[in-house]
Amino acid sequence: MPQEQITLYTAKVCPYAQRTEIALAEVGAPFKRYEIDLANKPEWYAPKVNPASKVPAIAYGGPDVPPENPSPESTKLAESLILVEFIGDLYPSSNILPADPVLRAKARFFIELVSTKFSPNYMKFASGNPEVTHTTLLAGVDAIQGILPDGAKYAVSDQYTIADIALAPFWARFNVLVQKGIGAYKDEERKSFLKALEDPKYAKFNGYVQRLLARQSFKSTFHEVRPLFWR
Amino acid sequence: MSEQLTLYLHKLSPYSQKVQLALTETNAPYRGYHVDLFNKPKWFTSKVNPVGKVPTLTYGGPSVDPEDPSPLSAKMTESNVILEFLADLYPDSGLLPKDPVLRAKVRFFVDATTKHIDTPFYDFVRGQGSYEDVLKGIEYVQGLLEEGGDFAVGDHYTIADACISPHLARLKTITETDLGKFAVGMGLKLGEELKGPKFTKFTKYAEQILERPSSKQTYDEEIVITYYKSAFVRTQ
Repeated sequence: MPQEQITLYTAKVCPYAQRTEIALAEVGAPFKRYEIDLANKPEWYAPKVNPASKVPAIAYGGPDVPPENPSPESTKLAESLILVEFIGDLYPSSNILPADPVLRAKARFFIELVSTKFSPNYMKFASGNPEVTHTTLLAGVDAIQGILPDGAKYAVSDQYTIADIALAPFWARFNVLVQKGIGAYKDEERKSFLKALEDPKYAKFNGYVQRLLARQSFKSTFHEVRPLFWR
Repeated sequence: MSEQLTLYLHKLSPYSQKVQLALTETNAPYRGYHVDLFNKPKWFTSKVNPVGKVPTLTYGGPSVDPEDPSPLSAKMTESNVILEFLADLYPDSGLLPKDPVLRAKVRFFVDATTKHIDTPFYDFVRGQGSYEDVLKGIEYVQGLLEEGGDFAVGDHYTIADACISPHLARLKTITETDLGKFAVGMGLKLGEELKGPKFTKFTKYAEQILERPSSKQTYDEEIVITYYKSAFVRTQ
């Protein structure tokens, strides 16, 4: 159990940030949560926490200071997937990282697939990019379903891991969009996608994502906030 | 006895080389098999990697001829996933440090290499990317290097070094030969610029990494040059 303080800079709307919040909830780590208004970032954020000016970021260690006044003595870390691995390393007995190296590799491969075939399409679809049609989206679903193990609860095994953490926030937000018809895409695309997903051949995928949404660490960190850019 | 490791690779592939570097630096016993990607054997796509790409690592199962892979071995793809796997298999090798903060720094460097070196550099070489983006990327990664350090992160060879080395080797080749689809002379110009005071830290690090036996053993500059000569014919 680390004694060092953890301060998480995050935003409710951001799926990348939610990954780290889920990981922290899964391992039961005490931490300070600081909400960054992405439309109005504090002046000190980029110079003192994350030069890329994005969330999530973690300030780890150093003196116990208020989040708005980060200390130069803390280590600043960024990039959601790196932070999730970091949290797994801090709490090795939490099991969000499988113990077996082969299963770990499967989890990381799953994450690669999410990063290339699924999460980029979320933003593109929502913002009405014509490149992303219901066919593109279904290809992403097929790719994920293709590597889900048969008869397992989660992405790699019955254990909830970093692979599930990587996907859950993206699927959840995407699901809200298409269910509620929010976003700049064509409505026919949305309807075609939803209709296709009803097919029994997607039973494995549908069961899996339902379990993702039902996970306590997901629910406690998900805020169904309408993202800024869809006013 | 430890499980068998077979690496399906291609001598031109920087991604294959990353894995070879990690295996060589760790002294891990493995079999390397060069796959003719331009003439792919059927057994490769049907028994090893349906997508037909390298690097692919097989782990475990019976010890068989690489051309007769067993269904019992685990098959792993994606170079960065394989690097992490090797770090897990050899936790005392130093490929990843034990300290969580240092591990995060190594991973951040790996991520930065992909975004700021890999993509801009090969885009530039293929004539699709800008010279300025290559320099900006190098400057960014230089900012992550520690002053006077022999390695990218900490005091040991890690997957961060394995990740960037293949690109550094090809960068050296390009700047010395001017081979590429960019405008004539831009490769040489890049080389000159990197020798300047602005890039001292980067150049020193690159020279040190490329001097390592592992770099020399896993990079065949002759075949890379031969390939680049035919692949990057400039259309005037």
